[in-house]
Amino acid sequence: MWSRDKFLLMGLLLWYVALSVWTAQSPTDPQFWLISSILPAAFVVGLIATHRVFPLSHASYTLITLFLTLHAIGAHYTYAQVPVGQWMDQLFHLGRNHFDRIVHFSFGFLLAYPMEELFRLSTGVRGWLLYYLPVMTVLGLSGLWEIIESWVASTLHPELGITYLGSQGDIWDAQKDIAAALYGALLCVTILAAVRAVRGTLLPTRVQPVVLDSST
Amino acid sequence: MKGGLPGLSLAESGSNHLRSGLLLWYGLLWTWLAIAPVNRRDWLLENLLAFALVVLLVLTYRRFQFSDVSYGLIACFMTLHAVGAHYTYAEVPFGFWLKDLLLLSRNPFDRIVHFAFGALLVYPVREWFMRLAGVRGVWSYYLPVSAILAQSGLFEIIESVVAAFVSPELGNAYLGTQGDEWDAQKDMAAALGGAALAMALTFVMSKSTRGVTSRTT
Repeated sequence: MWSRDKFLLMGLLLWYVALSVWTAQSPTDPQFWLISSILPAAFVVGLIATHRVFPLSHASYTLITLFLTLHAIGAHYTYAQVPVGQWMDQLFHLGRNHFDRIVHFSFGFLLAYPMEELFRLSTGVRGWLLYYLPVMTVLGLSGLWEIIESWVASTLHPELGITYLGSQGDIWDAQKDIAAALYGALLCVTILAAVRAVRGTLLPTRVQPVVLDSST
Repeated sequence: MKGGLPGLSLAESGSNHLRSGLLLWYGLLWTWLAIAPVNRRDWLLENLLAFALVVLLVLTYRRFQFSDVSYGLIACFMTLHAVGAHYTYAEVPFGFWLKDLLLLSRNPFDRIVHFAFGALLVYPVREWFMRLAGVRGVWSYYLPVSAILAQSGLFEIIESVVAAFVSPELGNAYLGTQGDEWDAQKDMAAALGGAALAMALTFVMSKSTRGVTSRTT
């Protein structure tokens, strides 16, 4: 029934649904799990809904799934208590669980390419701006994430203040998180630009006719 | 670039008088406020980025000119920032007056300027995106807001780096956290709110003017 390229997409979706069901079993902090699962769920529904109108490449969908997988793990254990992070803390004497910082970095590193694709195919932007826009978007969304996090923290646990899960007591946590995402995005677009320069095709021309443009 | 370039007709007919006037105003105000700032080193720190922006605007003037509206908005923001830098944001008299009037727990001047950053600068950013990058439609409203948010986030990072390098007490004056642990997030939210509001206003106004022109032609 499915064409061959649908297999990968169905596989990714199946993987993510299975993982979500699995990580939904007795999370460390059910309230935290619920709150931090709202945005990814909305995001996945949005991706499925827009798939026909605006299909992204397999590479993009794979990168997005990777990121969502990391986030699902973080949400299950509440970021500050993810075993891998604790293990790294003990191994390298870091002083804190760095799993959340890694996922902030991944947000930039893994999602900058899907964003670049979106901008390339729908805005008509060309040249260096195409590399600037994803970095800018990652930076902006990271800021928005920190804003939302602060609202959640001050609404649900005003007594905990800055020691709430997200920041682990570091007053510069928000800034470091945003910076981590920025570095991730910068690394991603640098690799992208380098690969394209090596291939000799600096910018691929529009492969697909842009459906969004004609509909608006 | 093809098609109707929004703001270009305004830019072309933009009066040099207005632009020289704005530059003169800012030059005079800046000089006056530079004479005896409350804290010289903090003033210098605050002005580094302002310097950079003015130099950039002057150097790129021949290659890219904003509309008069944009230059006016930029001058407004730079004026607010010059006042904040002179008094070190947390001690601006107008802020204290507001604090007493509205029974606030802190001097709100820096929050106001963060809001102004979004509200006043998002329009020039939109103009830049549309004319230089050829951005159209919904993107021309979304991308400027995103750029403002990103810039605000970058600010907070730079501020924290500066605070770590410079002496802690000056770091505090520069940051103007005034002891609020969520200060960075509130600042970014203020800029985001200002930018979103200004873009909504721009959208409504462009719709109404487009309606007028289509009716008259």
